[in-house]
Amino acid sequence: MTALGTLRVLTLAAAGACLAGLAWLTARAFAFGRRVYLSEPRGRAGRGLLYAFGKGMADKESVSRHLPTMLGGVVYHTAIFAALLDVVWTALPVRPGPPPGVFRPVLLAGAVVGPALLAKRAAKPHLRRLSCPDDFFANLFVDVFLALAFLRTVIPSLETALLAVSILLFFYIPLGKIRHCVFFFFTRVVFGLHFGRRGALPGSESRA
Amino acid sequence: MADATARHDPYQDKLDSLTDADLAAILAELRRRLKAPEIAAAHTCIRCGLCADACHYYLTNGELEDVPAHKLNLVLGVIKHHFLPGGRRAGGWVGARKLDKAVVREWVDALFGRCSGCGRCTVNCTSGINIHGLIRAARGALAAAGLVPPELQSTVMTAVEQGNNMGIPRDEWLETVDWIQDELRAETGDPGARIPVDEKGARLLYTVNPREPKFFPLSLLAAAKLFHAAGESWTFSSDRYDVTNYGLYSGDDSCAGLLSGRLVQAREDLGAEVLVLGECGHGFASTRWEAPQWLNRRFGFPVKSVLEVAAEYVRQGRVRLDPSKNKKPLTLHDPCNLVRLGGVVEEQRYLLENAVEDFREMTPNRRNNYCCGGGGGQLAMTRFAKRRLAAGRLKAEQIRATGAMVVVAPCHNCIDQLTELGKEYGLGTEVKTVIEIVADALVLPRKNA
Ligand code: SF4
Ligand code: SF4
Repeated sequence: MTALGTLRVLTLAAAGACLAGLAWLTARAFAFGRRVYLSEPRGRAGRGLLYAFGKGMADKESVSRHLPTMLGGVVYHTAIFAALLDVVWTALPVRPGPPPGVFRPVLLAGAVVGPALLAKRAAKPHLRRLSCPDDFFANLFVDVFLALAFLRTVIPSLETALLAVSILLFFYIPLGKIRHCVFFFFTRVVFGLHFGRRGALPGSESRA
Repeated sequence: MADATARHDPYQDKLDSLTDADLAAILAELRRRLKAPEIAAAHTCIRCGLCADACHYYLTNGELEDVPAHKLNLVLGVIKHHFLPGGRRAGGWVGARKLDKAVVREWVDALFGRCSGCGRCTVNCTSGINIHGLIRAARGALAAAGLVPPELQSTVMTAVEQGNNMGIPRDEWLETVDWIQDELRAETGDPGARIPVDEKGARLLYTVNPREPKFFPLSLLAAAKLFHAAGESWTFSSDRYDVTNYGLYSGDDSCAGLLSGRLVQAREDLGAEVLVLGECGHGFASTRWEAPQWLNRRFGFPVKSVLEVAAEYVRQGRVRLDPSKNKKPLTLHDPCNLVRLGGVVEEQRYLLENAVEDFREMTPNRRNNYCCGGGGGQLAMTRFAKRRLAAGRLKAEQIRATGAMVVVAPCHNCIDQLTELGKEYGLGTEVKTVIEIVADALVLPRKNA
């Protein structure tokens, strides 16, 4: 097997390890027990869930008062998912591989936005003091990953470097804050159900 | 602690002399409260800081210690260190912190002294983390080591030991009810008008904030008038009528469960169909939403806010309201525990739209209302009073912007804070409850007959 072929296999193995790590963390969280609600619902939990993943994603002050940051966050996360898809597709023995231009715009946007978010974290005194080293490191790490993912669409020979960084990133994901990629959804589900059953979210009020 | 006086404070001594056993008690109680959602929260918060300006403390004070994520991460840091895989090894890299005396001091200052448990951060968090819930869990952990600020703890214990948080003796309560019954007869012109006490088989058991018999008897009269006008079958309990539950604020689930459990038991003893909670935001959240968890049982009977009951009366035509009886411009404060965290959002609006001529909404309102600053036990914790009044500035500005002459709140804790804010910020507004306004608008079947 060529060096590149070996790197591709290692990338897939690292991605698998990443998923296994996230699954293990999820299982550990569930080992603490689920919360069973004993109060009579007043509203509709299902509607709360819909709200949490629908209108509620934008219907909050963290969006309305911080629109540039939130839009930046959306672009950043879209770029990360695109880059991960790109990397895994590249590593899989599926040919043709990803068309080189298809992810380019979003990867470029992500590679620009990432450092901007990092700069904001470093520049704003309260945000800086709120942060731990992992917040800076994870951001920087992902920025390097996105930059490489973008550059690889222009310079194909960078694939080796991209795969090498990806392997490290896959191992880091369950260890640091990037694990929120799974737990965000969990927390959002709990939010929707908890407040939906109380009828406290728009649209979750009981019909009665 | 900023507001602590220079006088000798045994509570500070206690914080200074914490033992390993105290720390172990805190950790054990914290661990007991952790379920999957709290662990998920520890993995979810990315310290984006976008919850900062959801909090009235931060908006009025602007210190890092006021940022909800800071308060949250004081708790999550300890959870990470003690209960999450790799937390000890990763340490400060991921914000994990070992619980020690210094952390306990920070917890007390931030979680008791800079939070009213309003949940505004929770609904505005990018991820929807139950920030106020985790803060309460940590308060409960402090309670396990006897570290609730003494003024708050004494309010809890007065209720536990004397049956109500004002320590009103039973005779005094019954005398007040008797006197209000006379007033009811005079107001309605109906010599047969009654305020039933311990009446078995009544449809509703009605509970109130003990501040009503003590300082605001007209609130009792207003509710009695409403029930009378609706021809309702209702009763007070002679000894279990306190709707408040400061155990919600101290975080102590066993006291909280005991207090709500009394109301549940009174309903069962009297055979009432519905437990009706008077105008008290945290009392509603406690007994309607939290008590089944505290008592580990499903209730199987309705628990309602008096606002829901009153709105039903108006909808069903059981009472008639004349808005011309309330002419002054009026605005409504949304108690956090009743509205954002409790789901009772529109009933009070429906009532006011039918009961007043000039109803003006504050901005923002409903689920996004600003806390008045009086919740979370802040009214009891005099050591943090300066912060409480400073944090209430936003609410004062909201009220002023409406140009209203009357501000109403369906919560007696909020009423107290709003009254203090009125003085502090020179608002010149009257402060009333929703049911008082509804009672003023009632068209009674007979008057002075
Ligand atoms: S908005 Fe939510 S995720 Fe962001 S810092 Fe605040 S609590 Fe954490
Ligand atoms: S619950 Fe309310 S007072 Fe407490 S941190 Fe959140 S917004 Fe601030």
